[in-house]
Amino acid sequence: MKDLSKVRNIGISAHIDSGKTTLTERILFYTQRIHAIHEVRGKDGVGAKMDSMELERERGITICSAATYCDWKDHSINIIDTPGHVDFTIEVERALRVLDGAVLILCSVGGVQSQSITVNRQMTRYRVPRVAFINKCDRTGANPEKVIKQLREKLGLNAVPIQVPMGLEGDMQGLIDLVKMKAVYFDGENGDKIRIEDIPAQYKDECDAKREELLDAISMFSDELMEAVLEGSPTEEMIMDAIRKGTLSLEFTPVMMGSAYKNKGVQLLLDAVNDYLPCPTDVDNFALDLDHDEAEVKVTNQPGDPLLALAFKLEDGRYGQLTYVRTYQGTLKKGDSIVNVRTGKKAKVGRLVRMHSDEMEEIEESGSGDIVALFGIDCASGDTFTRGDYNFSMSSMHVPEPVISLSITPVDNKAQDNMSKALNRFTKEDPTFKTYVDQETLETIISGMGELHLDVYVERMKREYKAEVTVGAPQVAYRETITQRAEFNYTHKKQTGGSGQFGRVAGYIEPMEEGEYEFVDQIVGGSIPREYIPSCDKGFQKCLEKGSLVGAHVTGVRCAINDGASHAVDSSDIAFQLAAMGGFKEAYMKAKPVIMEPIMKVAVEGPTEFQGSIMGSLNQRRGMIIGTNEEDAYTVIEAEVPLSEMFGYSTDLRSLTQGKAEFTMEFATYRPVPKSVAEELIAKAQKKDKK
Amino acid sequence: MLKQELIEKNPIRHLKGESDAKESSRMGLVMARAGVGKTALLVQIALDTLMNDKQVVHVSVGQSLDKTKLWYDDMFKDIAEVCKLDNAGEIHDSIMHNRMIITFNESKFSRAKLEERLHDLVQQNVIKPSCMVVDGFDFGKTDRAVLEGMRDLANAMNLQIWFSAVCDEGTDSQAGVPAPCAGMEDLFNTVVLLQPVAQSDCIDLKIIKGSAAVSKCGKLLKLDTRTFMIREDCK
Repeated sequence: MKDLSKVRNIGISAHIDSGKTTLTERILFYTQRIHAIHEVRGKDGVGAKMDSMELERERGITICSAATYCDWKDHSINIIDTPGHVDFTIEVERALRVLDGAVLILCSVGGVQSQSITVNRQMTRYRVPRVAFINKCDRTGANPEKVIKQLREKLGLNAVPIQVPMGLEGDMQGLIDLVKMKAVYFDGENGDKIRIEDIPAQYKDECDAKREELLDAISMFSDELMEAVLEGSPTEEMIMDAIRKGTLSLEFTPVMMGSAYKNKGVQLLLDAVNDYLPCPTDVDNFALDLDHDEAEVKVTNQPGDPLLALAFKLEDGRYGQLTYVRTYQGTLKKGDSIVNVRTGKKAKVGRLVRMHSDEMEEIEESGSGDIVALFGIDCASGDTFTRGDYNFSMSSMHVPEPVISLSITPVDNKAQDNMSKALNRFTKEDPTFKTYVDQETLETIISGMGELHLDVYVERMKREYKAEVTVGAPQVAYRETITQRAEFNYTHKKQTGGSGQFGRVAGYIEPMEEGEYEFVDQIVGGSIPREYIPSCDKGFQKCLEKGSLVGAHVTGVRCAINDGASHAVDSSDIAFQLAAMGGFKEAYMKAKPVIMEPIMKVAVEGPTEFQGSIMGSLNQRRGMIIGTNEEDAYTVIEAEVPLSEMFGYSTDLRSLTQGKAEFTMEFATYRPVPKSVAEELIAKAQKKDKK
Repeated sequence: MLKQELIEKNPIRHLKGESDAKESSRMGLVMARAGVGKTALLVQIALDTLMNDKQVVHVSVGQSLDKTKLWYDDMFKDIAEVCKLDNAGEIHDSIMHNRMIITFNESKFSRAKLEERLHDLVQQNVIKPSCMVVDGFDFGKTDRAVLEGMRDLANAMNLQIWFSAVCDEGTDSQAGVPAPCAGMEDLFNTVVLLQPVAQSDCIDLKIIKGSAAVSKCGKLLKLDTRTFMIREDCK
């Protein structure tokens, strides 16, 4: 069995284009998992190892977080490469859930960008200890000092550098380690030959000052160190121990720097991962006891205890469904039979593999704290596996509601089949991607976290499933309702030889605060025979399906009948249905009908400096701003905005705020549309009818 | 009941006085022990401004956005119900457009920040408030300079500002403005104290400081506990 203290499950997350994938690539190279370096947007056409999907290679972005395993100096490291784009936030969050620690990458020029803020907040939510790495120190305009200041101000982290760069931009030579007080150079074509020397004289003073600062910051985590500092003799071990303690308590963030592209500082970062980030037993994970009202139970991490494993990611591999699993407790062995807690279904572990991006390595068993992949297990992501003796579930992951939807239509029959296969797969893989068939338009609607999110799926449908679809704009579901009481008295009479139709219905319709529809029978004295009263009800309900304003569903109406007449021979079920329909139509226009539109509760989260423009944009969209809430450098603006005005908002918001703001929306209520909009809608509906 | 009648029944009429129209920048202070109804009265003041088709900024320190919004919705519902307001739903939707809530964490609130925020709002043409209510402002931890700054802000933006303050338990309300606001009354044009009346569904609103016009109704008003409207029957 592996020593758990030598296992690291880490994530690498940051803003788009700050070089996560490049860094991961270098890590894999230095840990000898790969033997050549390919650039993300390289000319050799191979692309980086971690970007395994064709689409990712093409666009130069990372979409799915591939789990990769490597060894560095007697420690095993599982790396989850996470996407940096806002639209794929769920991927980031899911990855964070199974991580013990993380590396926060920042661009030395761009500094703390909005995605870093989002990711940082997510990490704080899942209590993930982190170290920061300031990448791209070779770029013109690199300024690690500025980035550290931003880490403190914008992210509220107690960030202190543990390294000093020797030269920046073009002439970056290496780094000075403030713990060991040595200069480190990275020689050789790929920077793999590390040369350690004494600190050059010109950096001496700067390093002394920085070390002082570092000791000040960390001595509060260790009494031993505090004493040693006072006596003037802190040892390397003491300092490392204090940094580790501070990092694990989330009260301290060591900052490293370098340039992955120029092969500088990556090995030191790996050392720091081993030294300062937690092993699986250092962090507390909680499972939910389903037998006891989802009470939180701390998992033990002991390999001998009952199995508890979480499927956090699915992938369609070459050999069927690949399920990424993190074991929290117990041991997962090849040939074991495991139970999916959600469905209660039993399954057998056929193949157990350790993933290295695209390639895999067969293993016999995986201990607690490990991240491995299973083959041929039917489950959805977020499912928990046990051996059946344990009714626990790993805490449900925070899944945001989809915010945008589109209609898709397959171009031909073959595409239709493939499309449903693809949709089935995607909804399993990604909990934020949802699909349903609109009962009114019979279109297939897909919904997700943003336009790009859906774009990627439409694209994947084409590439992976050969399902060509045309994408349409979705329709907002309008409704109609009435605003005042109106009476009707309608006689339906038809005598064209044979048995005629006769029915008279009188009563009123009135608005109703709650509920969709109510039928009230106030007939006394049998003016309408008992058997025809349900017919009236049916007649009204037929009218509700399509209002006469824009053909939308009518809701919030109470229909009452209080008088009527029948004919001994000519009255029938259908006659009374038609009479009720006639009555409803007669009264409907008198009852001042209005069109209602869905109003969404929108929360926009963005840096405070953009608050004004965000509010302006919401105002433009007929939004009613409810208020703002300030959190650190972030402001949350809440507003109620009609859904019809929200299309394209994600794109607008992004361009308005340089991609630094995010928004979520959920359905709030239905409200009457303003007059001008109503007229427009009615005109549109009439035009459609004429066609 | 019509909107107009409702406006007239509001206790705020008596507090603002006749000179209200001319002198709109002034500071008011609502004091009470915890749980008596400071927030309710502030919301009432805000609702009154909204009813007059003017705009309000509600600054809430330490309370969430949702909770503050709920205050408005509940208060409005109660008033509409008790006073049998016609087409309440429509009025509600129309006046809430003129309200804006800004919430701060207790530790994050500062006058400078608030001022920046307000200027932002006015500049972006989102709202131009004529009244601001500040709920949860900690008078115990503040000094005169901050309040003087707020007063300058009120004057500069032609704004009315109402504060709420928790008075310390056991202070003698007979002797002027209770702690922690004692000695600051010169900064406020109006200071009122809310006191629950034992075995009654009334709350006493005691005007400790106010303009001359106020006194025409005496120094004591009886308010309904539910709607915070003046009760004529409860003498």
